[in-house]
Formats: sequence, structure tokens, C-alpha cells
Amino acid sequence: MKRIGLTVHPHDNVTTLLDFQVDATQTHDGQPVASGIPFGHKAALRPIACGESIIKYGVVIGIATADIGTGEHVHVHNCQ
Amino acid sequence: MSTTANETTSTQRRTQFQGFQRSRGRVGVRNHVAVISTVALCNRIAQLAAAHHGSPLLIKGDFQRGLQTEDAALQEAMLGQLLDHPNIGAALVLCHDRRTAQRWHQQAAAYDKPIETLAVMDCQGVQNAIDTASAIIKRLTQAAAHARRVPCSISQLTFALECGGSDASSAVCSNPAIGKFVDWAIEQGATVIVSETAEFIGAEEVVQAQSVSVDVAEAINACIRVTEQRMAGDGDHYRGVNPTPENIEAGLTTLVEKTMGAVCKIGNAKFVGCLRFGDIPTRSGLYFMDTPFFSPCSITGMAAAGAQIALFSMGVFNPSGNPLTPTLKVCGNPDTVKHWEDGIDVNLSGLIQGDITLDQAADQIAHAVTLTASGHISKTEAWGEGQFIFPRTLPAF
Repeated sequence: MKRIGLTVHPHDNVTTLLDFQVDATQTHDGQPVASGIPFGHKAALRPIACGESIIKYGVVIGIATADIGTGEHVHVHNCQ
Repeated sequence: MSTTANETTSTQRRTQFQGFQRSRGRVGVRNHVAVISTVALCNRIAQLAAAHHGSPLLIKGDFQRGLQTEDAALQEAMLGQLLDHPNIGAALVLCHDRRTAQRWHQQAAAYDKPIETLAVMDCQGVQNAIDTASAIIKRLTQAAAHARRVPCSISQLTFALECGGSDASSAVCSNPAIGKFVDWAIEQGATVIVSETAEFIGAEEVVQAQSVSVDVAEAINACIRVTEQRMAGDGDHYRGVNPTPENIEAGLTTLVEKTMGAVCKIGNAKFVGCLRFGDIPTRSGLYFMDTPFFSPCSITGMAAAGAQIALFSMGVFNPSGNPLTPTLKVCGNPDTVKHWEDGIDVNLSGLIQGDITLDQAADQIAHAVTLTASGHISKTEAWGEGQFIFPRTLPAF
């Protein structure tokens, strides 16, 4: 079972997961993702250091408030 | 219902369509006979006269008399621009009094299409007014029937961008797919207008980065500031409460992310200008128009500015459309597509199912655009959906 990750812009460092297969740990594109990430939430496409920009739609939507590993859930707990 | 545009498999984006050549190098995608009622008093007579002739397009003012000067001027200017719209091939302007009818008659001479005016007060009885208007509509319908579709270029089109019923799918499916289409359409020389100022709160830095000049960015951001202040004055502190707890639960982390979910429909294009409600673009490229966020009103402004086609992004179903500017409903939510097939023109649910890419989604939009521009009837047109709503800023007398 694989997840559907939609990356909007080539510069993005997060992908948005658009399915309910929350136990799966890989997207159809082979991108690793942590298990348990809900529908509509984001996963890191690569390691993102604390203080680095979170990029979606090709624009800075927030700043990482902690180091984020590839595939980890990106949300209010590690981005603002 | 006829075949939906997304059921055909052609993926090649065409830059030509079959449209109507109009004055000043403009093209129309429809050849409507319009009945324009300049004051709400005449709306019913206009409606009854139009009913005898299939489907002439009824454009109604909702007020006119008693409006304060700037609101009255805006409604009158908008009716004039709609009369001049390239999707209209001929029109009856129905007025109440003779002086107004004479004024419209003089103004109409500048528009290169068959236009007749009628003052209801010049008629003798309600039935006589209806019959007189009806006879004019019959003549105009015959005159308009001479127009023929000819090859036109997509560069001659102005697109209105709109969204409604937004949800998680519209933010990552229909809106970004429209954005990719917009990038392509602008490369072809087309004009694109995006509106709904309130939706841009939080996008100020994106506006700065995606404007051709500091002046353009500042003009747009000034509109956003004014709208935000007016909302705050009405008790709505948008920036402070967004994203809402529901948004956060749905996966939205920041205000910019939420805002971009709508704003991404502009693609990577740069704004070349900032328009007031209904202002007509003077060159090709991407424009911002300062409008209320209610879609029937914002599309009215973009239609008055000459937009021949609207692209309307949806998550959950929203019936809105414009009768003059065919409004293509674009949706990526599989549940909405399943239940509202009869109201959706471009089905992008394949994105969520992992079957298509955003580029292929943009191909589907391009295909639906050229089909619709060449005469294929959109879902909102098939249902006779839509209305014209002019904003008012001041109390009426």
C-alpha cells in the first residue's frame, strides 16, 4: 500500500498527502513518509534544518522550528 | 447533458479556437442577444419580452434610482461595459424613461453591434411594452444570426479566475492546475484577471515577488490593507484567527499556506496591473482586480472588464457561474465529482487518485477552454445559472 503525495511546485520541500492510507510509509513516487500522517497534511521531501524555510507552492509558507527528517510530518509542532 | 469536456482524451493544448470577431480586435466566444434592463423597475417586462425568444441573455440592474452618485455611476458604467462585451452580438437596452433611453441610444452608437433602445414610458400598456420589446428582440436575433465563427487565437482571450467551496482538494488540485494553465495561457499572450481581495490577506510577500514593478505590488497590497482594515472594523480580524483550528486539523500550518491554497491559481506569472472593479485591462498578462469575495459579484467585475471565459475552482460544490462569461467548474474532490457530475466541467479527481499529474490536469483545463470557446456549452450555461451583482459602497437615498 502506497500513499499519494502531491508536490505542487518543483522548488517545494514538502509534499501534501492526499489519501487515508496512513499506515503506509512510502508514496507512489518512492518518497519515504512517516506513518500516521493524516489526509491533507505535509511530509518533508528532504532533511530540513531548524530555521530553514518550509516551501510549498514554490513560496515560503513558514520556518522550521526544529530539525525535520525526510518523510517526517511537517505541521504546527515543527513549523510556524 | 452533453459529453463533458474531460471525457475526451486529447491532451494537446490548442492555441486556436472558433470564435466571433468583434470590434477593436476583440473576439467573443458566444453570440448572445442580450436584453439589458437599466433599472429594476423594467426587469419583469424585460423578462416577459425575452421569454418569447428562446434564450436571450437577461442583464438586470438591481436598483439604479436612489443610489448615491458613485454607486449609480458604477452600475451604469458596468451595464455599458457589459453591453459592449464581445460575447454579446446584439442587444436591446430597456429603460423606463425617454431621456435615459436617448442617452443609451447615443452611447450605443459607439459599440459596433446591432443595439436598439426602448423606453417603457413610450409604450401604451404593459402588454404593449412587452410586445414592442419582443418585436425588437426578434429583429435583433435575426441580425445577430449573421455572425459566423472564425479561427481565433487564445491570445485574444481574457480569463477570469475564481474559486468557491474551497477545501483541501482545491488547494492542491484545482487551484494549482489552474495556475499551470495560467502560466501557459500567459505565455501564449492571453490576459488573466484574479480578484477577491480578501483572499489575498497573507499573500503580500507573494504579491511583491510576483509583480512586474514595486508600484504594481504596492497598488495591490494597498487594496489588501484597505480590505483587511474594513473587515477588522466589522469585527472580523482575519489575520489573527487564521488558520482556524479546523484548518490546522485539516493540515494547514500557516496563514500563508492557507492563502496560497487560493492564490496559487495565478501560477508563476507576474502581475502587470491592479484594476478597480470592472476596469478593463490595457495589455496582456496577469491582473489583480479589487473586488468583494462573493463570487457572483467578483465574476461580474471581471466579466465587465471583458473576460470571455471564467475558470472556477471548487472543492465542495458551489453553483456559482456567470451567464455572459462561460464559467468552467474545475474540481479535484472525488466525492464532489461523483455526486455533482452534472455541475462540473473539468474533473481533476485523477490527481487525488494518483492517475494524472498537475501538467496533465492543466492539459484537461486547456482542452475544456478551447472546446468551450468554440461553442461547447458549459454546465452553468446548460442550467441557466448565474447572475450579475454590482457592489454598492454607500446607503441608498
